[in-house]
This record gives sequence, structure tokens and C-alpha cells, in this order.
Amino acid sequence: MDLLDIRNLTIEMDGPHGRVRVLDKVSLQLKEGEVHSLVGESGSGKSLLAKAVIGVLNPLWDVTADRLWWNGKDLLAMTPKQRRAITGRDMAMIFQDPLAYLDPNSTVAEQITEAIPAGDVTGTFMHRRIDRKTRVAQLLHRVGIRDHDAIMKSYPYELSEGIAQKVSIAIAIAHRPKLLIADEPTTAMEPSTKDQIQRLLGKLAVSQSMSVLLITQDVASILPATQRVSLLYCGQMMEHGDTETVLNRPAHPYTDAMIKMSLQAHAELEPKSKLPSLPGAVPTLRHMPIGCRLGPRCPYAQKQCVKAPLVRHRDEQSYYCHFPLNEPEA
Amino acid sequence: MTRYLMTRLFYFFLALLVLSVVTFSLNWLFPGDPLTNMSGIRDGQAAYNATLESRAFDSTVIQQYVNYLAHITQFDWGLSLSTGNDVWQDAATYLVVSAELVLLSFALAVLIGLPLGMLAANYFRHNLDKFILTSAMTGYSIPVFWLAQLLILLFAVQIEWLPITGQINPLYAIDSITGSVIIDILLSDSQYKLAALQDALLHLVLPVLTLSSLPSMLLLRITRNQTIEVLQKPYVKAARARGLSQKRLLFKHALPNVLQDVLPQMTFIFGLMMANLVIVEHIFNWPGAGAWLLKAIIERDYPIIQMVLFTLMGLILVLNLLVEIYRGWRFPMTREERYGGY
Repeated sequence: MDLLDIRNLTIEMDGPHGRVRVLDKVSLQLKEGEVHSLVGESGSGKSLLAKAVIGVLNPLWDVTADRLWWNGKDLLAMTPKQRRAITGRDMAMIFQDPLAYLDPNSTVAEQITEAIPAGDVTGTFMHRRIDRKTRVAQLLHRVGIRDHDAIMKSYPYELSEGIAQKVSIAIAIAHRPKLLIADEPTTAMEPSTKDQIQRLLGKLAVSQSMSVLLITQDVASILPATQRVSLLYCGQMMEHGDTETVLNRPAHPYTDAMIKMSLQAHAELEPKSKLPSLPGAVPTLRHMPIGCRLGPRCPYAQKQCVKAPLVRHRDEQSYYCHFPLNEPEA
Repeated sequence: MTRYLMTRLFYFFLALLVLSVVTFSLNWLFPGDPLTNMSGIRDGQAAYNATLESRAFDSTVIQQYVNYLAHITQFDWGLSLSTGNDVWQDAATYLVVSAELVLLSFALAVLIGLPLGMLAANYFRHNLDKFILTSAMTGYSIPVFWLAQLLILLFAVQIEWLPITGQINPLYAIDSITGSVIIDILLSDSQYKLAALQDALLHLVLPVLTLSSLPSMLLLRITRNQTIEVLQKPYVKAARARGLSQKRLLFKHALPNVLQDVLPQMTFIFGLMMANLVIVEHIFNWPGAGAWLLKAIIERDYPIIQMVLFTLMGLILVLNLLVEIYRGWRFPMTREERYGGY
């Protein structure tokens, strides 16, 4: 059974110019222990998807889905309290700007301690105190922070970005979640820190046997350990499937463009040739194209594309396109 | 922290010094000649010269200021010009009477302002928020002196629930020991202790309500705006994503960060209360420092004016210092912001 099973998740909100469908029938399945990367440009609804899973969306928005299941339980049918219980026990999330996401007026130790489940420490008051402290130190070691004594006493503003992100990962794994959602955890970080954090996430996924849903903006920064990848554009799912297959033989023009835009692909370019990119810009909420939302920017688009394509499958990948690329020779 | 503490203390004493200059120069800034007031017009030049000499008014201004400083550091504020009593000894009771009123009002203001502000912020843009905000706007648009009259008219004259003025019904014959009625009643051995206490509390209701109305509404608005801002901060979102309940979010994560910016505003609000204290004490015939100050101003009793002004403003400075120290200790980031980390 899938740990997280999303079928046709749709989020609608009332904007100043009428109703907007910000997430349009998005499906995603996540197995236990799987590392899954969700790729999309800004405004594609990646973070919305994550928030819908965690359950912290604006209550005024309409969330509908054929299925939003966690471990076989319907999340949409739950009361907010039941939902919070599941979120607090089984899920965790880390964010892009770790310094802003840590409470500026509590020490690192206080913040990690708060995330340790109350049932984990027992005994007398002093016992619990010592126990908590060792647990915090253990967690810090697990995320690769050696001088735990100094870091525990620090306030977030005294930390560097990389350390702060490690601390927020420590907070996230304190209650041994089954799913860790990482919302662009390495965007705007220096390369060496980025590499460290990515390797740490990959390592933790294996050692803690938890699923990781990694959200990134480009295919270059997906985790090396990623097993499956999904591409989202303007709130529509473009393609998803096995990482190897999708990146080597993309079926969707959007996937193709994303791969060509990534840094590795640049190395193979002819000197003085144009950098590949999709023409146009991401449409605003006010002017969403009908049918396939990539239509106006797609080099292969035809008349048919004003109708939303149905899902098609090919080996290990699924895609939503009328005119797929890299079709096997018949 | 040591450096931060030293800087704060330095500024505190600097402010006190400036304050002493201001109170000292009252003698010159005010129109009229205090010496004439003291010696009387009829007695003529001889009496005037005698007073001039006895008060050492013939020395230079600097000399006089140094003398003044030397005296006030020993709490020697001189003799009242109208009664001839030692000002500092008289002041003790007046200050305690006022302190009772101010402390109760401040406590009430905090008890109303903080929770209601957080409640409104929690229901941001809902009807409850709009209702609380509108009431607060009304509350602090009403001038204190007018509010006092309205309250007296309604509660004391129309429905006769509460007494109009004074601290307590004099028939209870409670001896004034400390100045604070409540403490005095508790100390006294009157057989009508409970009845007297009830009477004193009833007398307190209107002045406390009047004095706390403006501060509580101000505090409410400040708290509300600050809470709304903090609730939208990423770290609160992160806490929410951890599945914490709204209650825990508000009290554990938002409240400390709200207080960081609301606390300094409280000193400002306290200063505002000091200004209103004079009006409220006068209207309700409350025998405190504010009413005393007003009386002294009318009588041109400079030692009293100097002493009361200096003490009230000094109190605000002390409170400010305490808040700054607490803030520097509890919220280390504020130290960082101002002085680059000590």
C-alpha cells in the first residue's frame, strides 16, 4: 500500500479576478521509504501540494480530491484535530530559508527539545532533563553537527545557513516521522553546503527508513538517491515516473525542456549556440490557458492541446501529453 | 551582556541628569518670581532680601545647581513654600496613594489589553476582530476627563452603584498609615474591616476604570498588530506544520515574540498614564501625587513641583531600564540588533 496516495487533488481559491484553479487534478503516490522529487518552476503549486498534505492550507480555499490518503486513511474526512495528530506524529517539513524558520528567541536546544515526543522520556524530573539533553545531542550528531554543546546554547541568529538547515532537519526527525517534506531545502545555498545537505537527506532517508518528498525548482538539484520524480507546471502534473527513465527518455516536452535547461546539459552545447529555454513566461493566475497549460509555450503544441490530455503510461513513466517525445519505434 | 548593561545604566543616569537640569530650571522658566511669592508683597524689600539670602539665591546659577544636586541626591527636596513642611516627608503618603491607583490601573490595562489583542489577532478579519477593534477605537478616542464625567454620571448619579469621589467613606475612621487604603484597612483593627474594604474597593472602581481605559485600548491595538505580524512569520508557520494546536502556537511561539516588541511600548503607555494621573486624581478627588502636583502648580510651590515631576519621570526611567534589562536577557537578539552583540 502507498504511504501517501493522492488522486486528482484540486485546489481552488477566490482571487480578486474570480475563481482560480491553482492545482488541477494532481495525482501522486509515495511508497514507504521512497525518495521522491517534485520538480517545477516557481508558481507551479509544489508548495501548495506539500501544504495540502501537511494540512496547513488557508481554510478559505476549496480542496477536493478523489483520494487524499495517508496509510489508507482519508485525510480530507478527518477533523482538524485528528489531522494535526497525524501531522505531528508521522510528518515533518523543512523549508528553504532555515534561519527564518527557526524561532529567533529560543535556543537550538529548546527548539529540538520541544519536538521530542513527550512519551519518549520517562522517569523523575531530573531523569527527564538529562534524558532530553542526551537526545538533543544525539539528534545533532545524527545530522552531522559535532560540537553539540556550543550549538545547543546558540540562538538561530548565531548560526550559519548550513548549520541552521541541519538544526531544522534535526527538529524534523526528532519524532521519527514516516515522511519528510523538504521544500527547496538547498535553494540559494552555497555549493558545498548544498552538497552536504543533499547527502545528509539521502543518508537519513535510508538510516531512518523514512520517505522523503523533495521539492526543487530544477532537475539538477534533485537528490542523488531519488527513486521517482514528478514534474509540475502551473498546477498540472506533466510527467512522473522512475527517475532513470524520465530523465533519459522524457515523454513530455516540459520534462525535455527542464532537462535541457539544467546545468549538466549545458556542457554538451556547441560553442556560441543559444541557451535552450522555453519561450514565454509562466502564465499569471489571471490568464491560465485552457487545456494543457503548457500549450502557449510548447514547441510541439497543436490544436488538440486546448483539451486537457488524459494520463498515458509507458513502461515506468506516466505523462499527460497528446504528442509525446521519444516514442519507441513501432 | 555586561557591556549592554553598562550602556543601559549609562543612558539611565544621563537621562536622570538631564531631568534634574529640567526640574532645576523650572524656577527660571516659569513666569513670576518665586521669592516674591514666598516673602509676600506687603512686607517689602527687607523680607525679600532676607529670603534671598536664606535660600542662597545670590550665588551663581552653576553654584546653585551643584547645591541642588547635592541636596536631591540625599532626598532633601527642601521645604514647601506654602506649608513649610519637609517635601520628601509629605511626599511618601501621596506617592503611595498614587502608586495604589497606578498599579491597579496598569494591571487592569495589561489584563484587558494583552489577551483581547491576542484574541483579536487570532480572529484576524473575522467579525470578532472587527468588533474588538472598533470598541478599542471608540475607547481611546474618548478624552479621559470626559470619560470620567460620563462614568460618574452613569454609575454614581443615575444608577447609584458607585460613590463619586474620595478613597473611602470617612465614617469608617481608618487611620492612614501607609497611604494605600487597602493596606491600611488590612493593618487596622477596626471591627468593620470587611465593610470598609468593600467600600474602599467600590471607591476604586471608577478611577481605575478611567485611568486604565486609554492604556488598555492602546495596548490592545499594539498587541493585536504585533501578533498578526508574528503569526505570519515563517517560524510560526513551521511550528504549525509540526501539527501544533492553535493554542500552543499562540502562547508558546507567538506570545514571547510579541512581548519582545510590546514590552518597550508598555513603558511608553506607563508614561501616558502618569500624564492622565493628574487629571483623574483631580476629578475623583484622590489624595495622590497627581492632585498634589496640580495644587502645587496653582500655588507656585516649586519644591513640590520639582520633586513630584522628578519622581514621576524618574519612575518611568526606572521602568524603562528594567524593561531594557529584561529584554536584553530574555531576547538576546535585541542586544545583537542594537550593539552588534555583547
